[in-house]
Amino acid sequence: MHLIGMSTDTIVNSLADTALYKLITWLSPNFPVGAFTYSHGLEFAVEMNQVSDYDGLTHWVDGILRFGSGRVDSSFFRAAYEAQSSCDMTALSLIMERAYAQRGSAELILESTTQGRAFIDTLVKVWPEARLQAWHDRLAVDSCEPPYPIAVAVAAAIAAVPLEAALITYLHSFASNLVSAGLRLIPLGQTDGQRAMAHLEHRIIDSARAAVVRDPEDFGAAAVMVDWMSMQHETQYTRLFRS
Amino acid sequence: MSVVFSPFESRLATPHVPSMQVHGVGQVAFSGGDDPRLSRLYQHDPVRILFPRPAQNDLPLAVFVTTSGGLVGGDRLELSVRSEAATSVMITAQAAEKIYRSNGADSTIEVTLTCDADAWLEWLPQETIVFDGARLVRKTNVNITSGGRMLAGEFLVLGRTAMGETVMEGLVRDEWVVRLDGKLVWADALRLSGDINEKVQHPAGFGGAVSIATAVYIADDAPDYLNLARELLSIGNVNVRTAASVVNGILLVRFLSSNTLATRNDFGVFWAGFRSAVVNLPNLLPRIWHI
Repeated sequence: MHLIGMSTDTIVNSLADTALYKLITWLSPNFPVGAFTYSHGLEFAVEMNQVSDYDGLTHWVDGILRFGSGRVDSSFFRAAYEAQSSCDMTALSLIMERAYAQRGSAELILESTTQGRAFIDTLVKVWPEARLQAWHDRLAVDSCEPPYPIAVAVAAAIAAVPLEAALITYLHSFASNLVSAGLRLIPLGQTDGQRAMAHLEHRIIDSARAAVVRDPEDFGAAAVMVDWMSMQHETQYTRLFRS
Repeated sequence: MSVVFSPFESRLATPHVPSMQVHGVGQVAFSGGDDPRLSRLYQHDPVRILFPRPAQNDLPLAVFVTTSGGLVGGDRLELSVRSEAATSVMITAQAAEKIYRSNGADSTIEVTLTCDADAWLEWLPQETIVFDGARLVRKTNVNITSGGRMLAGEFLVLGRTAMGETVMEGLVRDEWVVRLDGKLVWADALRLSGDINEKVQHPAGFGGAVSIATAVYIADDAPDYLNLARELLSIGNVNVRTAASVVNGILLVRFLSSNTLATRNDFGVFWAGFRSAVVNLPNLLPRIWHI
């Protein structure tokens, strides 16, 4: 079954309780991927005073969702999900290679692959599943570090979590982590953090929907300044974050 | 079958509107190691390839020229360069490439850069100037064999900045795919569409920059030159944002500015300094770069 063209209502209604439970657990801030140690370049943007308040933070995250990693990783996520769903391991390897290679800085690779690695390592211990274990073994043979969106997409496809729901949860988790980093760096209060997530609700849902219908070969982005901030972060003198 | 019209009939016939679209091709390769020579040359209008005399102690030089002056919607260029085993060469362009406003069709550029084992290839393009409403789709394929070394660049300018033009609409899809021994090691995909100026002004987008240049150094020893790259960047203009990083073994250097001349200057200074430090070539760019 192909999910493209299905309405969101159909997907949400067909989201089984077990799938919903897995999504909430896997993408919870408690899941041990160490997300809180990555700022995706935001730490340097705050240092440079490019992001300095609530409005600046929501605008920054909104841009990343529309034309930065939020967009590109959603495309990688979808491609990996569809490859795994159709058991096309060659397509999965190709998209993983691309998702690994298309990173704008050393720290953005680190951020994506360490989380992908921690995610899949935890999953095979806690939610054992034969196909997931087989993929985990294959990564070891190929000495391959899976980018985070690929790891989550493969697990979601194996667990038969509907694509759009999985994407919304993934993007929510990504955006929420950026907002959380912003709260600590700027700093802002918890209520502002929740206000930001409320503000981004439709952006996240729209981004997930757009990823499902756009040209599957479109991995384009325009968040050049995010890459630049991340490159500059490598030599930032005092740092709380690994990216 | 041939059909012969009388002059009278041909005037009555529906006038044939010749396609104004061009499909330019330029292919150049060098081989011969220490005694470099041209091993392939093919050019189809509007692409011409010139071979000016290089500076003293400098590499053989090939210069791409687009004689039409720029690309309109529907135009297509295919450029291919190769430095074969143990051969060193520099390729550049005579002038900025202009991408004119499109009436709907894309202007397509496909670039293939190949560097064999123990070879050195420099690909130093001039600016690609995207006019408001232009539709540029460019793909750069880089293929390198381990032991080969390549310094490849790209320089994109949004709008005719000298006359204050702002790019409001159109399309820019600019993709790089770098393979080392056939394995994908780096990819980049810039995409600007819709309200382009909103993304250009966005702090997470271009942060107000209208010129963006990139240099990538792809070689087995690329990570060793990160500090050198940072030193070279540190002497640049204060209004150019520059940064370097090693991404999956590739040295990646970015330049961003709202001032195109400043970007051009810093990009050139970096380039000349880098080639000089890494392979002991003259700390110079081809004269054509300075014209």
